[in-house]
Amino acid sequence: MTLVIDDLVVPLAHFDLQVTATMGARVTAIFGPSGAGKTSLLDAIAGLRALKSGRITFDDVVLSDLPARARRIGYVPQETALFPHLSVARNIRYGGRHHEHHVVEVLEIEHLLDRGVTALSGGEQKRVALARALLTAPRLLLLDEPLSGLDWPLRDRVMQFLQRVRDDFNVPMLYVTHDEEELAAIADEVVKLPIQPHSK
Amino acid sequence: MRRLLLILLLALPISAAEVRVSAAASLTDAVTEIADRYEARTGETIVLNFGASSILATQIVNGAPADLFISADEVQMNRVATVSRVALLSNRLVVVGVPLLKARRIAIANPEAVPAGVYAKQWMKQRGLWTVLAPKLIPTENVRGALAAVEAGNADAAIVYATDARIARRARVAEVINDGPPIVYPAAVLRDAENAAGAQRFLDFLRSHDAGAIFRRYGFLVK
Amino acid sequence: MTDAAIIWFTVRMAALATGLLIPPALALALLLARGTWRGKSVIETLVALPLVMPPVATGLILLKLVPHSVVFTWRAVVIAMMVMSSPFIVRAARVAFENVNPRYEQIARTLGAHEPRVFFTITLPLALRGIAGGVVLGFARALGEFGATILVAGNIPGRTTTLAVAIYDRVQLGHDSAAWHLVAAGVIVAFVAILLSEKSTRRRA
Repeated sequence: MTLVIDDLVVPLAHFDLQVTATMGARVTAIFGPSGAGKTSLLDAIAGLRALKSGRITFDDVVLSDLPARARRIGYVPQETALFPHLSVARNIRYGGRHHEHHVVEVLEIEHLLDRGVTALSGGEQKRVALARALLTAPRLLLLDEPLSGLDWPLRDRVMQFLQRVRDDFNVPMLYVTHDEEELAAIADEVVKLPIQPHSK
Repeated sequence: MRRLLLILLLALPISAAEVRVSAAASLTDAVTEIADRYEARTGETIVLNFGASSILATQIVNGAPADLFISADEVQMNRVATVSRVALLSNRLVVVGVPLLKARRIAIANPEAVPAGVYAKQWMKQRGLWTVLAPKLIPTENVRGALAAVEAGNADAAIVYATDARIARRARVAEVINDGPPIVYPAAVLRDAENAAGAQRFLDFLRSHDAGAIFRRYGFLVK
Repeated sequence: MTDAAIIWFTVRMAALATGLLIPPALALALLLARGTWRGKSVIETLVALPLVMPPVATGLILLKLVPHSVVFTWRAVVIAMMVMSSPFIVRAARVAFENVNPRYEQIARTLGAHEPRVFFTITLPLALRGIAGGVVLGFARALGEFGATILVAGNIPGRTTTLAVAIYDRVQLGHDSAAWHLVAAGVIVAFVAILLSEKSTRRRA
C-alpha cells in the first residue's frame, strides 16, 4: 500500500505548498510546525482542496482524478467535526457500517451510541470520529493532530486507542503532528514539512 | 350527431357571465346592498371590487378586468375609456366640529388626491376663502382620517361629505355647504368590458327608483 | 363574507404563498451563500427590492407583469404575498447557510455522500433554525400584506379581500366595532402562528 504524492502544488494563503513524497508504512507521520500547511496537505489528499498541479496516487488508483466522495479516505479532522444534529450512532454510520461491531468494540463506544455528540468528553469525541471514519472501510486514514485539545491523562488513553486501530485494522494512517513524543509513540516513518516554505 | 350537439351546448357559456364592477370605496355599503338586491331579482352575478377611485382607474388602465366603473370624481373617470357614461350620484360638503371661520385647525382629506378634499379646495378657492384658510388646513390621507382628527381633538373642524359625517361618532355637523362645486359620481360601462350588456343592465338598475332609495338612505344625492 | 371566512381565506393564501416560496427561496439562498458569480449583486438587489420599495409601487409592477386572467383572482393574492415575503425567507436562509460550518459538509463528502445528500442531511438540518425564523417572518408578512395585493388582486369581497384589506375597509367606512372584531381575530391568529412556530423551532434545537 503506497501513497505517492507527485509534484503536488497546493495554493495556500501566503505561499504555495510543494510536496513530493512516497509513503508506504503503516503509520506515516507528517511533521512540522503550525502554519507549514499540514492540514492543507491532508485536505488536498482527501479531495477537499484544489490543486494547482501534481498527482496523488494510491497503489494504482489516481486519487487526484476523483471527487472527495469517491476516494474512500477516512478523515479525522483537528476539530473532530462530529455532526452536532445527529446521535453518536447516526454519526458513525453516516458513511457505512463495515465491521461496525468490531470497530465499536475496539474503540469502546458501545455505551455512547444513543447519546448526542455535544455531551461527549474530548476523548470520547475523538473515538467516535475515528469510528465514523473507519466504518467506511477506507483505504487510507487521515488524522490531523488527533491528540490536540486533550489534557495529559487523556492523551495517553487516546494514543492507546490509536495504536489499537493501527494494529487491528489493516488501514494505513497519515498522522499529522508537531509533537515529537507522538512521533515516537506511533509513527513508522516521518515526512517533514519544510520550515522554509517556497514563496509564490 | 347528438353527442356533438351536447358537447357544443356544454361548451357554450351559459349566460352565467359575471358583471365585474369597480366602485369607489365610499360606495361600499350602498352598492353592496343594491347588488344583492339585483342578484336576487335577476339571477345575474355581480362581482364587486372596491377601492380608492385612483387605484381603480389605474387597475383599469393597466388591463385589469372590469365591465362597469363607478368613480368618486370625474378626474379618475376621465382616465379610462368608456362607452356610456352617466352622472349617477352627488353629495354635499359639510363642516363638522365648529364653524369654519371659528376653527384654528381644519382637517381635510388630501386636497390633491382625495375627491372630497379636491372639491373642498375648489369650493374654498371659488368663495375666496383659500388664502385665509389654507394655513389652517391639516391634510389627512383620507376622509376617515379627517374625521378622526376632529374626534381626537387634533383639529377643531373638518370638511367632509355629508355621507362621511354620518359615521362620525361625536363630531356634529356645524355647517352645510350648499354653494359648493357640483360633486359628481360618474358611472360608466367600460370600452374594454367583456360583459358590456350585463354592465349596461346593472347600470340601468343603479339609476332605477329602487336603487335610488337605497343610495338616499346612505346619504347620497341621486341625480 | 363572514369574519371567520376572511381570516381563513387569508391564512390559506399566506400558507400557500409561503409554502410555494420555500423551495425556490432556499435554492436562491444557497446560490447566494456559495461563492461569487457574475450577476450576483444584481440578484441580491432584486431580492431586496420588495423590502425597500413602497408596496403600492411593487403592486403596480405586478399589475403590469401578471397575466390578465390572473389579475383580480386569488392567484394574484398569492403572487403578491410571495413577492413581498420572499426577501425575508431568502435573506434568513442565506445567513443560515453561511453559518453552517463547511467542515461538516466536507467530512460528509469524505464519507461518500453526493451533493444532494450533503445538502439534505447536513446543510439543511443545520440551517433549519435560521430558515424557520425567516419562514415565520415571511408568513407573518404575507398575512398582513396590503399595498401590493390591493393593486393586483383588488378588493373583491368573497374572492380576494384579505384580512388587512377588510380591516382597512371597515375603518374607512366607519364600521368601527366590525373593524375591531377583525383586528382581535387577526391578533389571535398571529399569536397562534407565532406560538406554533416557536414550539417547532425549539423542538429542533
